[in-house]
Amino acid sequence: MKSLLKELCLINGVSGDEQLVRSAIMEKVKDHCDEMRTDPLGSLICFKKGKSSGKKLMVCAHMDEVGFIITHINSDGTLSFDQVGGIDPSVVIGRQVKVGNAGIQGVVGSPAVHDLSKDEREAPPKFSGMTIDIGASSKEEAEKYVSPGDCAYFSSDFLEMGSKIKSKAIDDRAGCAMMISLMQEDLPFDTYFVFNVQEEIGLRGSGASAYSVAPDFALVLEATTAADIDGVSGGKKVCCLGCGPVVSFMDRRTIYDRELYRLAFDTAREIGVPCQTKSAVAGGNDAGAIHISGKGVRTLAVSVPCRYLHSPACVIESADLESTYALVRELAGRIPKL
Amino acid sequence: MELLGTITELAQAFGPSGCEDAAGELAKSMLEEYCSEVYISNNNVIGRFGERREGLPDLVLDAHIDQIGMIVTGISEEGFVKVDSLGGIDRRLLPTQQVVIFGKRQIPGVFSTLPPHLAQGGNKVMTFAEAAIDTGLSKEELEELVSPGDCVKFDVELKRLLGERVTCGALDDRCGVACILYALELLKGEDLGYNVTVIFSSQEEVGERGAKVGAFELAPDIAIAVDVSFAMNTGEDPKKCGELGKGPMIGVSPSLSRRISQELIACAKNAQIPFQYEVMNGMTGTNADRYSVEKGGAETCTVSIPLRNMHTPAEVIDLRDVRLSAQLLAEFIKEGRK
Repeated sequence: MKSLLKELCLINGVSGDEQLVRSAIMEKVKDHCDEMRTDPLGSLICFKKGKSSGKKLMVCAHMDEVGFIITHINSDGTLSFDQVGGIDPSVVIGRQVKVGNAGIQGVVGSPAVHDLSKDEREAPPKFSGMTIDIGASSKEEAEKYVSPGDCAYFSSDFLEMGSKIKSKAIDDRAGCAMMISLMQEDLPFDTYFVFNVQEEIGLRGSGASAYSVAPDFALVLEATTAADIDGVSGGKKVCCLGCGPVVSFMDRRTIYDRELYRLAFDTAREIGVPCQTKSAVAGGNDAGAIHISGKGVRTLAVSVPCRYLHSPACVIESADLESTYALVRELAGRIPKL
Repeated sequence: MELLGTITELAQAFGPSGCEDAAGELAKSMLEEYCSEVYISNNNVIGRFGERREGLPDLVLDAHIDQIGMIVTGISEEGFVKVDSLGGIDRRLLPTQQVVIFGKRQIPGVFSTLPPHLAQGGNKVMTFAEAAIDTGLSKEELEELVSPGDCVKFDVELKRLLGERVTCGALDDRCGVACILYALELLKGEDLGYNVTVIFSSQEEVGERGAKVGAFELAPDIAIAVDVSFAMNTGEDPKKCGELGKGPMIGVSPSLSRRISQELIACAKNAQIPFQYEVMNGMTGTNADRYSVEKGGAETCTVSIPLRNMHTPAEVIDLRDVRLSAQLLAEFIKEGRK
């Protein structure tokens, strides 16, 4: 699973520009499903027969990652950009990035700290004050390599730190990796697998694909914010690395199906994996669009706890990835029987 | 001497202020290519270039070998590494910044950051008292490997941008070190106008302390500090900046020797080396300030390489400026005192 996650995380695919991720996933799953199609937005919808047919289950994850879009090429050859998805500007300033599908090397510049007033030094940076520098000395030179509308990506390696993993795009390539692994197994029930686009700009792809699939149940695989860091105590941690899959009763977009919520904890206990809930009502994911799609879909999200989501350095615990997968695999065999 | 390779090695070497050992040893081995006797004193790397000739003035070429960084102050209860700054760090860019800690072995980590729901309005830049490094290791594992006083640097690889521009951390002032080495390469076998001593000095970033004792030890007649200065970039003041690719910035300031400034300018003009003025109104903030007044004083000047995003892991230089600066130094030294 770890090597699969690495491969997926290192592919660049900002919302609306997911084709490289989709092609890589298609290559991996084409021999493990019975039907496969790409919908008009770009989401990949796969169907795999199981040993029997139960109620219609859709397992899904999103392919897109947060990143940037080039808005303007400046006269000095630097590139103005905006964020795609929610990103704290302080994780962007001073970072290496790659621009466009050709992967032009860039770096995010801003005025030197020496030239800032005391107030400016203590004010969090803003995207409006930053540009991407690809080394071009003029607008004309930059235009040979970059066009407005090109996306830019965090340039960050996949690194093992003790038992933990650091990478960009773990949100939600972790979900994609678990789905690919599940598709490679023999399944007890027929299952739809949907790799969605455009989650990060407002749950766009999942609404459309959920309508097409019209499932009875949806199981959303995600990476979710863990704040178990220095100086944060109690409920403010939200969830913890090393404490297993996160199953939330409610977030900003969804009140989850209570029976599925209980099933997740009961199942985890039976198969002997740790399982935790979120101690705060925070965040949101594709479940928000899916559970109110069509006539309504009974929905559950199972997430890998992840520190520093939406940054070049997402950090997860390897064991959580394994235990989350174990729970998801078991749930895929139980939900269609409800 | 291959300039890009030399700068890559130097800029990626470890040497925050006070722990310059690894970068110093590397620079020493590089300097030994040109100097018969090279030694390290107070972490200053010192070498004498060429034959000593009676009657010639003593000239020192200085570049600082240290880089900004951080120093470990402790390990928190939660197993995060606490640090304070070595030199002027732009704290706005710390969240999720990747670092390497030089403990019993090299330990990678990232600065932790609060997720948005805990960031209390997000209108404050983290202080070093709040900052903590996430290594993925437990408190117990860390206590085996990391001790207070261990040094930390931003972990970044040198990358090529378009043209001859490159980005990395610590280009301030490893590009100055490379520039001096390149000048020596140009001077090999030439008739020199000065007795030349090279010093790659320690602890510049915490207040030019290496140069203070180095200046006392060497007591030159003339000293040239080869450092970096601000290159024009988005949001900078063009009146205070040089431009990338337009050649060395020759310092003119009340604290510098007006005669040396003028000789350097004349040299550049004669040899048709493009140059830029760097006019200051007092102290220069470089090691030149130390040579000017140490042990009876010396005539000093600055030759600066324009650099963007100073004191960040995203510094940018143009290799042409390093080459042109080296040519200027070589011409000046060949010329000698008239």
